[in-house]
Amino acid sequence: MTARGDGLAVEAAGLLKEFEKGRRTLLQRLRREPDRRERFRAVDGIDLAVGRGEIFGVLGPNGAGKTTTMKMLATLLEPTAGSARVLGLDIVRDAREVRRRMGAVLSDGRSLYWKLTARENLEYFAALYHVPAAEQRDRIARVLAAVKLDDRADDYVERYSTGMRQRLVLARALLPDPELLLLDEPTVGLDPQSARDLRDRVRELQEQGRTVLLTTHYMEEADQLCDRIAIVDHGKVVALDTPAALKRTIGATEVVHLEIAAEDGAPPNGGFLGRLERAGQVAHREQREGTLAVTVHAESAREFVPAAFDAARAEGAAIRHVEVVPVTLEDVFISLTGRALRE
Amino acid sequence: MDAAELRAAFAIARKELQVARRYPLQLVNEVLQPLYQFLLPSLLLGATFLVGGRAIGLEAVTGTADLAGYLFLGTIVGGLVGAAFWEMAFGLKREMDAGTLEPAWLTPTRPETFVFGRAIAALLIAGAASAALIGIGLAFFGASVGGGLLLALPALAVAAASMIGIGYLVASVVLLIREPNFFVDATNFLFAVISGVAFPVLVLPVFIQPIAYILPTTYAVDLLRVYALGTRPLLDPAVEWAALFLLAGLTIWLGRAAFRRTERRMRVRGTLGQH
Amino acid sequence: MSATSLLADVHAFGAAALKEWRLLRRYPTLFVGFLFWPIALPLAYVFQARGYAGDSQAALDAFAARAGTTEVAGFLFLGWAAYMWISMILWGPGTALRTEQVRGSLEALFMTPVSRLVILFGPLLSQVVWAVWMFGIVAATLALVFGVDIALASALRALVVIGVAVPALYGLGALFASVVLRYGEVSALVQGVRGLLTVFCGMSFPIVVLPEWGRAVAMALPPTYLIGDLRRVLLAGAGLAELLPSLAVLLALGVLLCGLAVVAFRRTERYARRGGSLAQY
Repeated sequence: MTARGDGLAVEAAGLLKEFEKGRRTLLQRLRREPDRRERFRAVDGIDLAVGRGEIFGVLGPNGAGKTTTMKMLATLLEPTAGSARVLGLDIVRDAREVRRRMGAVLSDGRSLYWKLTARENLEYFAALYHVPAAEQRDRIARVLAAVKLDDRADDYVERYSTGMRQRLVLARALLPDPELLLLDEPTVGLDPQSARDLRDRVRELQEQGRTVLLTTHYMEEADQLCDRIAIVDHGKVVALDTPAALKRTIGATEVVHLEIAAEDGAPPNGGFLGRLERAGQVAHREQREGTLAVTVHAESAREFVPAAFDAARAEGAAIRHVEVVPVTLEDVFISLTGRALRE
Repeated sequence: MDAAELRAAFAIARKELQVARRYPLQLVNEVLQPLYQFLLPSLLLGATFLVGGRAIGLEAVTGTADLAGYLFLGTIVGGLVGAAFWEMAFGLKREMDAGTLEPAWLTPTRPETFVFGRAIAALLIAGAASAALIGIGLAFFGASVGGGLLLALPALAVAAASMIGIGYLVASVVLLIREPNFFVDATNFLFAVISGVAFPVLVLPVFIQPIAYILPTTYAVDLLRVYALGTRPLLDPAVEWAALFLLAGLTIWLGRAAFRRTERRMRVRGTLGQH
Repeated sequence: MSATSLLADVHAFGAAALKEWRLLRRYPTLFVGFLFWPIALPLAYVFQARGYAGDSQAALDAFAARAGTTEVAGFLFLGWAAYMWISMILWGPGTALRTEQVRGSLEALFMTPVSRLVILFGPLLSQVVWAVWMFGIVAATLALVFGVDIALASALRALVVIGVAVPALYGLGALFASVVLRYGEVSALVQGVRGLLTVFCGMSFPIVVLPEWGRAVAMALPPTYLIGDLRRVLLAGAGLAELLPSLAVLLALGVLLCGLAVVAFRRTERYARRGGSLAQY
């Protein structure tokens, strides 16, 4: 499925960022010695096309290159190679103009001034965002209302909870009345209720016609919120589509987790696994103390589970635990990379 | 600098003052610290050399025996230097480490405006502290600073402008190094000392004196003392005024260029968010 | 206290000092600072003194009469060496506990069975190395740059003076640590105490130039005796016998301050346990 809406909010082509490990000493610099530092690619050629009005997710484990990509799009970081346009503007050549029209949440509550009130924080940033003086008051009132902090606006941020600080950080990003919002792991460190509240705010932003590009390593968040998701690993996009389409690539609708042991307590034999593989697709197996944990992708759990029990009986094994869950993006990630999102 | 950028600069200054207001003891320290760390020990050292209650040694070198006036006036310029090194430069680094600089650089406001905005706040605080210190000097230490001091205020203004340039320069170094404390502490100290804040430039070793002559603050502090105390000028005052303006222009130009270069390096290296 | 628990405490002492040393090593610019400041700071005052003396013999004679020596550089360097040592104590170990509290590691420390003396005095041990280094730099600068002649016998007497001053200064540091832990506000307090010491202990001047009430305050502060005795021993050739009254006062102050420090610390700990402030600030 391609991006919807007219025009693209974000276009990236071959975006690449390489960092050098370690620092050069002053002596090395003065002697103009060649730079022999090890280089590593945080982002290794990412292509993206985010349509206007979309909520687009970038899902991947820690260290996948999500934050680095966001920082490049936010003009905080210069790409080593490749190009990107945000709202039609080049991120390197037109960086300042990009910043005028975009809001970003790249950090948490520590990026606020705790010794100031929420309103004072926003007044400061409103000036930095070049919000015209005549509009400042109304704009601040609007963003505070949008994140439901209007009744606590004159409290010092040091008295806020973590969830409230994160909402204030979002309010700050809304000050320029942005067409595009970049949110980097917006719900990390939040309790479930606060995280849910923040996701509701994100949906409201889309209803207002804004485009949201967010990164997360929480697959449920990506699944619930995003119109389309790019799964990234080791700096590359390994899959890009709607959540439903991505899950369909598994070729199953349900996932069955089994824990099996042989009747005498020993691990089950190869014959049992062979029978399982005929009934469903074994995606993952893990040997634990005396048991074997198996994850199977099945078209229908209703048909698979009885078959598994039959196989167990025939091979002298016992199924200790059965769990049936819908296919998740985590399963998609594992099938693409062989690793879990949260390793 | 357009109107929006100027508004941003004032907002930055306002924010600094708002935060400073929440640390009242630190503000009081702006007056107390120069007093007990520099002025009192220096005055008491000076008292050790008095002959018949007069600072005849100082008078022979500078043309004034007003020990207190000499030192308190030096402190004014010392305060300007401190504002550049600690508030404009080191303060910016502190914001970077705390994580409050990154969201600010996501806005269309130019990064160099942050140094300028901090400068406004820092110079205001330094100015207020200096006024308080002069008052203390006049009231308790027998400083007899004349009305000529007002004639030197333009020199102070130009010196303040040049300190903004110095602030840019120091910030351009400090943002790139991991532990800037010693660097800022030592260079601030050397800058102030070589400028003649604490003693006449002429007592410095011959090979160090040329450095004093390329620092804008040397001329600022000298002109201040010439007009307020009637000391002997280092050079013809007209030459000193010219040197002050020239050096102020030079430091601002150099400082901004260096800072822009540092900003670019930070965007390439990605060091803005590191702490 | 059993022999095993005493041994354990001694071991803990060493570990505390080692931890402070390792933390210091992670800040290499601190090392450069320890080379720069012991020379630069007093040197600035030496230049200032030259400005005050001009080429007036009368002014120099006035100094000699008040200071008891014609060695201006020696006079100033010794005073500032003592100031820097005291600063190191107040700024380092004096704030170590507060730093742990802010970092969040104080609670863990208090949950160990180690003697409270170790927690209080342990960090001070690591300062010994720096103190020795700093006094060494000062002695070398005076000898090589200013041609001040320091005889071995005088140097040894100076070491005795420093040794006698240790309980007093470390007691001051430990007392400071407890007060700071209880009341927070590190900067204002440290600067205030530093200021008090700078003004009243004769770091850059002989205390005779202070007004009478100032001299009375000075005589109640341990650093006054340390600085005065160091100058008498190294610049005026005084023997230990002449210094006995002054050393006795210094020792007595040391005992008093260490005692006060332990009492204050116990009180602070009790207050913290009752109010739960070990973990917060």
